[in-house]
Amino acid sequence: MRWATRAGIHIDRAACAWLIRRDIDPDAEFVFLDDPTDLPADATPFDMRGVELGHHRGDCSFETILRRYELTDPTLWRIAEIIHEADLDDERYDAPEAPGLDVILRGLSMTGDDARTLAVTQAIFDGLYEYFHRQHRLGREPA
Amino acid sequence: MERVHTRRPEQRPDEWVLLSYRLPREPSTPRITIWRKLKRLGVAQISDGLVALPADARTREHLDWLADEILEAGGAATVWLAQPTSRAQERELAAAMADARAAEYRAVLAEAARANGLPTAERNRVLRKLRAELRRINRRDYFPPPERRAATEAVAALHADRKEDTAS
Repeated sequence: MRWATRAGIHIDRAACAWLIRRDIDPDAEFVFLDDPTDLPADATPFDMRGVELGHHRGDCSFETILRRYELTDPTLWRIAEIIHEADLDDERYDAPEAPGLDVILRGLSMTGDDARTLAVTQAIFDGLYEYFHRQHRLGREPA
Repeated sequence: MERVHTRRPEQRPDEWVLLSYRLPREPSTPRITIWRKLKRLGVAQISDGLVALPADARTREHLDWLADEILEAGGAATVWLAQPTSRAQERELAAAMADARAAEYRAVLAEAARANGLPTAERNRVLRKLRAELRRINRRDYFPPPERRAATEAVAALHADRKEDTAS
């Protein structure tokens, strides 16, 4: 399936792409649009204004996708808190990881294109998932 | 007093992103939510229902999503990119924003000064609080006033290990 979002990806779009590939569509192909009106007819848009998989009721797109696809994995929701704070910074959650991740993503977008940001961040999100998964299972900080 | 350092003096004014919006009077909750978010972003209020930020990827995205949120709350909103026609107008906007931040930094400075004589445990509590407050202010500080540095140094000096450096 094809998925489309705005070019110049930052934290929310990178995390959504990781989530889509991981839990919704392993063969997902991503299209990055310079102009949102160029949305291909066969592509599902995400993290764009006025689309279903966007920001709604104060949620970021990552949270919207979790709700829409009924993904209840607590580790994904812990990551959602980080993405929400890195993206919206409204202190809805206590996510001290967020400012660091925000800076890393901004730096990546200064040094490479969207394909590279996506490639680098997929490994980062895999690592975050593993860490918080172990933390959840152990009930303490994993070594 | 010239306190605002625009990024490219003597050139054409920079691009700004404007949000023009209207929200129903009732219910008041979305009005307050939006107002808080705008305040958090440190927008310049041009007039009733019209706010501005220097345009970059982050500020454009924030105002775009806020526009969507206003539409969802039954309001009307449009987002614009614009240039003031003169440097003078831009300086006025920037000066108002810098003054607003300067006042926030001065409040941090005053609180840091008051905490200076406190016992270590209480001073550390204030230090943590003020560091978080500084981060919040920095994120909406588009035209840093001189108070930024003074506040940052005063807060850093509250830490026991750095107290000696600044006292000497």
